[in-house]
Amino acid sequence: MSTDNHPELVRYRSEREWFKLLHSQVKDSDVPEHQLAERTLTFCLDMYNRIIACVEEGDPFVATYYCSAPELCTAMDLPWYMVMQTPFLASSVPYLLDDIDSAEAMGLGSDLCTAIRLSIYYIEANLSPIPSCIVGLLYPCDGAPMLHQVIQHNSKWRDIPMFNADPPYWDDDRSLDYFAAELRKMAQFLEQHTGRKLDMDKLKEAIEESNKQFALWQEYNELRRAVPSPHGWDLGGSQCFSVTQCYRAGQKGGTDWFRKLIEIAEHKVANKIGAVEKERIRLFWFDLLPFGWIFDLLPWLEQEWGAVMVMDMFGNYPYTLIDTSSEEQMWRDLAKRNLFDAPMIRQARGVADNFVNDIARIVKDYKIDVVIWPGHMGHKDGSATIGIMRETCRKLKVPFMSLGLDLFDRRYATPDQLKEKMSEFFRAMGLG
Amino acid sequence: MGALDLYLKQVAAFVEERRRDGRQVRAFQCDGDPQQLRQGLPVRVGPGANAGLILRADTFAELGSPDAGSSAFPLWTRDASLLTDGRITLIGPGIRESEGASLPFGQVLMIGGTELGDEEHEALEQNQYVADQIEGYMIRSTPGRMWSRVGRDAARRGFDFDVLGQALMILFKSAIPQIEAMEVLFLTSGKEDLQQLNGIAEQVRTIGTLIARNAWLARGYDILECSLGVDCRSCSDKPTCDDIRDVVKIRKKKLRKKADA
Repeated sequence: MSTDNHPELVRYRSEREWFKLLHSQVKDSDVPEHQLAERTLTFCLDMYNRIIACVEEGDPFVATYYCSAPELCTAMDLPWYMVMQTPFLASSVPYLLDDIDSAEAMGLGSDLCTAIRLSIYYIEANLSPIPSCIVGLLYPCDGAPMLHQVIQHNSKWRDIPMFNADPPYWDDDRSLDYFAAELRKMAQFLEQHTGRKLDMDKLKEAIEESNKQFALWQEYNELRRAVPSPHGWDLGGSQCFSVTQCYRAGQKGGTDWFRKLIEIAEHKVANKIGAVEKERIRLFWFDLLPFGWIFDLLPWLEQEWGAVMVMDMFGNYPYTLIDTSSEEQMWRDLAKRNLFDAPMIRQARGVADNFVNDIARIVKDYKIDVVIWPGHMGHKDGSATIGIMRETCRKLKVPFMSLGLDLFDRRYATPDQLKEKMSEFFRAMGLG
Repeated sequence: MGALDLYLKQVAAFVEERRRDGRQVRAFQCDGDPQQLRQGLPVRVGPGANAGLILRADTFAELGSPDAGSSAFPLWTRDASLLTDGRITLIGPGIRESEGASLPFGQVLMIGGTELGDEEHEALEQNQYVADQIEGYMIRSTPGRMWSRVGRDAARRGFDFDVLGQALMILFKSAIPQIEAMEVLFLTSGKEDLQQLNGIAEQVRTIGTLIARNAWLARGYDILECSLGVDCRSCSDKPTCDDIRDVVKIRKKKLRKKADA
């Protein structure tokens, strides 16, 4: 079937072509990291192919978010994609800035988080695959529900059933029970609107596999504590996150991917091979990476300052073993992993306590020299805790820097401006 | 009576109960002075003492893995006489008799000092995670869990819970000078005991969060709830909130009309 019959696939197909291009660049490489990247890109292309096939064949699939218990979709053999996929997974596509401009031309305020603005644009411009049903996300930020409201009013999307799990504020047993019940409702919703049935044995199987993935991820993180760190910004948290949340949640291929990752890192740690020749500054980047212009800043940090991103917000996904011995416990632990542990949700959904404790722990464990709060223009909730973060770092005697940027739009604060700001800060602090 | 004193008694009762139930309970008494504590220790203690990572292949025993379970918390009191300075209690098997094992792990640090206050609570919590400060011992970097590894070399040199307890006393007493007395309880006897200990831990954690909140409030920050708009009349965001309320009203009215139609 041609694209003409499915104009909503135009962008999706372009993204797939982009990833094919990236894949072709690493597929024959002898470098272990490239070989791993080849696997990641293969997973990514599989996801694109599955969704495109579903649209063309009229099979059910779901538009969902990260940290919405993806093991459920695995157990139901239900293809899914993330509603905000482009800004996160495909933000390196060359037309991203044009799309941001088009979103603004539609009248969307430039103070609205660019990830949400872009996603709204893709809905309104009919550039997102139209799913059988949607699982929304009411947390961690207040901006995401705006996207849901747009979906509810868009003529092509408004009749698509949507479910949003309701997130409690506190981190206690009552909240856990409540959210576990929300996840059960979510599973019923998926059954009702996709025709797929949830087999609890299959869910157990998927969760046991994802337990292995999270255990290996934790093991990998320990390796990043080594001085020098085996990897910097270009391999680590983001890939681990996308494998466990988007590409291979609870699937054996994902587990093998983690084993390979550890094998590479262990070799580097044993031979004291770092991400850069001479590691001089160990960074904790406390947010998403600047995906829209990542190549304009992070390689420079390594080359110019020997500054290695040892840990970032999405690399730090605390490991909760999901106990599969009973159905009730399984739902409860699944709730914990998705509500209390999931990065960004963990920090920005409820109390500010996690900002304090995560910084304190990571600074000590990973021998961090500087904590950077990038201050993404959309993360106003997190920016409300800058004072708390600064105070925490002061007590830990580690420099804290708040930048102020747009993770997706390099024009908000240009890479050159940021380089100057960071250089001044590093010099003033006597780092590097 | 301090906010956590009651739990010191509960922990003492917990130990006695285990003893009565026939668990293996061992007590070690060491000198409370940090300088004396260092003497004869088979491992180095202090910043950078653990130079590298303890990889899977180099692990003698693992404590508190998610499978085995863990529970760790500090308890502090201004009444140091409630504690026996330098006492280390172990319920269950030791490290050197558990080669290759993954043991359940409980750790309670009981600390006394007349000058201790809310401000020290967070430091006590955070100092439990010793990072690179004990040679041959690595706490894995996963929040909410005391999951650690003991290296083969350290175990061979005699690293066990008495050593770990002494190392913790050195680190705590060096970092927080207000500490006058310190006791440590370790538990490895089983999941059931750990569950009981977790019952105490949960109550302590709830109180601990409130203590930490008070300490932050004194610095001008609320870590639990946004309290900026306590008085709407003096809040600069009031017009925005008013607008939102108006929009909600209009929307509700519309929905009602739609429902009536």
